[in-house]
Amino acid sequence: MALALPASAQQRLETNFRTTGAAVTAVFEPQREVIQKSSAVIYDGNKEIAYGTVISADGCILTKASEVEGVGKIDVRVDKESYRDAKVVMTDPRWDVALLKIEAADLTPVVFAPDSKLPRGTWVVVNGVTSRTNRRVLAGIISADAREIPPEGGAVLGVTLKETKKGLAVEEVSKDSGAEKAGMKKGDILTTIAGKPFKEIAALGKLLSEMKSGTDVKVTLLREGKKTELDVKLSARGDLFREASRNDEMSGDFSNRRSGFPRVIQHDVLGASHSMGGPVLDLEGRAVGMNIARANRAETYAIPAEELRELAEGMAKQVAATATQ
Amino acid sequence: MRKPKSKPSSSVPIRGSLFLFALLAPIAGALPVNDKKAPESLGDIKAIQDALLAAIPKAQTATVCIDLGDGSGSGVIVSEDGLVMTAAHVSTGVGKDVTVIMADGTKLKAETRGLDSETDAALIQITEKLPDGKPYPFLEINKADDTKLGDWVFSLGHSGGFDKDRGAVSRIGRLVRVANTTLQTDGALIGGDSGGPLFDMEGRLIGIHSRVGAVVGVNMHVPVKVFKDNWERMLKSEFIGEGPFVDKPEKGKGFLGIATKPAEGGIEVTKVGKKSPAEEAGIKEGDLLRTLNGEKLDSREKLQSILAELAEGDKLAFEITRDGKDETVNLKLGKR
Repeated sequence: MALALPASAQQRLETNFRTTGAAVTAVFEPQREVIQKSSAVIYDGNKEIAYGTVISADGCILTKASEVEGVGKIDVRVDKESYRDAKVVMTDPRWDVALLKIEAADLTPVVFAPDSKLPRGTWVVVNGVTSRTNRRVLAGIISADAREIPPEGGAVLGVTLKETKKGLAVEEVSKDSGAEKAGMKKGDILTTIAGKPFKEIAALGKLLSEMKSGTDVKVTLLREGKKTELDVKLSARGDLFREASRNDEMSGDFSNRRSGFPRVIQHDVLGASHSMGGPVLDLEGRAVGMNIARANRAETYAIPAEELRELAEGMAKQVAATATQ
Repeated sequence: MRKPKSKPSSSVPIRGSLFLFALLAPIAGALPVNDKKAPESLGDIKAIQDALLAAIPKAQTATVCIDLGDGSGSGVIVSEDGLVMTAAHVSTGVGKDVTVIMADGTKLKAETRGLDSETDAALIQITEKLPDGKPYPFLEINKADDTKLGDWVFSLGHSGGFDKDRGAVSRIGRLVRVANTTLQTDGALIGGDSGGPLFDMEGRLIGIHSRVGAVVGVNMHVPVKVFKDNWERMLKSEFIGEGPFVDKPEKGKGFLGIATKPAEGGIEVTKVGKKSPAEEAGIKEGDLLRTLNGEKLDSREKLQSILAELAEGDKLAFEITRDGKDETVNLKLGKR
C-alpha cells in the first residue's frame, strides 16, 4: 500500500516509535512487570522525589539517601498500594543509600543478578514514568566501564571561617551543607574535628584532606563560651559549591549528589534526577544495579549488583540485630 | 567543550572486534529489526544487543578525543594513515595544531585539514606515529548511504572530556529525522561529544555529532554524505563556506606580534609581543629577518604586504640571521 504522506512527515519518526516511545517500550513488558512490583515510588506529599528498590517482603526498601534527607513525612507507593510514613531506618553515606521501612507483608523483592559484568551495549530497563497505579519503563544500554567516581573536590564542612583572637570563627554557613543541617551558626568558634584540635584554617584543611565526603564527623565548638558538640556530615566540595558548567546547563536536571561512589556501572537511560533509587534490570528481569545518580543528560550511574546485595544484606542484618535487642 | 557561540537555531554545539566465522554465511547488511516500526519480541531486542556487542569494541578503538587546550571534542579515525573525521566547530580552523588522544590514552600530534563551516564537517590528520609503529585503528564509512528513518543507531564520544577509566560513552537511539545536511537521533549527547561518531548497527560510520537541542531527545549529526561531497576540498585544507560553525579567517587579520625597523639585508626585530606566535616560535629582539615564504624582505612595507594576503592559521617560514648565524623559523599566524 502506497501512502501519500507529505515528504516532511515521512522524514520524521513519530514520538510513539522513538526509543522512549510507548510502541518501543512495550516490548519490555516482562521487565515492566518486575518494576511494577519491585520499584517503589517515594513521595514528599504529592511530589515524587525518588524511586526505591524493594529488598524484602516485609517492607525494606533502598533509595537514594540525599533525595529523602530532611523530608518530614515520606510516603511510598509499591505496585498499586500506598504506604504512609515510611521510616528512614539507616543510611550509608558512602553509597548515598537510605534504608526505608514500610508496614507491609507481601512485597516482591528484587532478584539480584549474579554480577554486573555487562559489556557495553547490553540492554538495561528502569522505572521511567509512573502514575498512581502503573509504572512505565525506559530502556537503554550499558555505556561505559564500571569504575569509581571520586568525590568532586574533597571533603568540606560547608562554612566560611575567619581567624579571630578568640579562635577560628564561622563567618557564614553554606546552604544545604552538612554544617547547616547540624545546626552550626555564625559566630561559633571551632576547636576540634574528629577529636583533633586545630587553630588555623590551614590546619583544619589538612585534617579534612584525610577525610571522606559523605561521612559524619564530630566537631566541637564554643558557642557563647559554652562547649558544644555537633555531628556534621561532610560534603564534597564539588557538590556543595557548584559552578554550573556548560554541560550542567545543557543537562537541565541532575542529582545533587553525583560524585563520591566506590564503584558504579553507567547507562544511558534518559531520566530526571528524581528517578534515582530504583532497580536497574537486565533482560531477565534481575537487578544488575540500583540507580544512584543522574550525572548529566547522557550519563547515569548505578550501584552494581554485587555491592548492592552486600549493602542490602548488611543493612538487613543490622536492622534484625537492633530489633532483637 | 568550547565556549558557547551564537548559532542560528536554538541548538547548541557540543564539545567533552569484528568476529568473522568463516563457515557461516555472512550476515547480509541491514539488521532485520530495522524493517519493523518497533521491536516486537525478545528476539528483536536481543538482535539489537548482539549487533551492539559485536560493533562497539571496534568502534571504541577508533573513537578519539580531540584536545584543543581550552576544551575538547571527539572524532573518529577513518583511514589507516590517520585521517580523522570530526565537526568543524571542534577543529575551528585549517592548519591548526591539536592533540588526538587514543582510547588507551596515547597522545598524538595532529593538524586540522579542511572544513565546511556551513554544515559543521571537518577533517584532521594525525601527524605522529603510534608508539608501536602500527597502523591506526580505523572504521569503515557507510558508503552505501542507505540508512533510513527509524534505523537503530549508536553514538560514541568522549562526553565531558577524556576519561580513561570510563572510556568513550556509548548510547543507543533511533534515527528520528533525516534532512539533507542533518541527521537527528534520540540518543543523548553532551559537551565533549561534538565531532564523535554515529554508527549504524553494523558498526559503519553514518554521521558526526554536531549539536543538541534543549530537549534531551534532540541530538543532531552531520551525515557522512556531507563529508563525501566535500572530501577532496577538505583534504586540500580548504575552508569551505562562510559559517556559522566557524568564522572564516580574514586576510590581513592574522597576528604575528613583532615590531621591526629597516636594516642592512632585511628588517630587524625591535620588539616581540608576549605570548605572540612570534615569541612562541622563538623569534627574538635583534633577529634579522631576511626572507618570508621565499620573498626578500627588503622593507617593512614588504612584510606588511605579504601579511595582508595571509590569514589566521597560515604558515610563515622566515629565513633569519641571529648572532651571525643563518636559521629558519616556522610558525603560524595567530588570531588578533
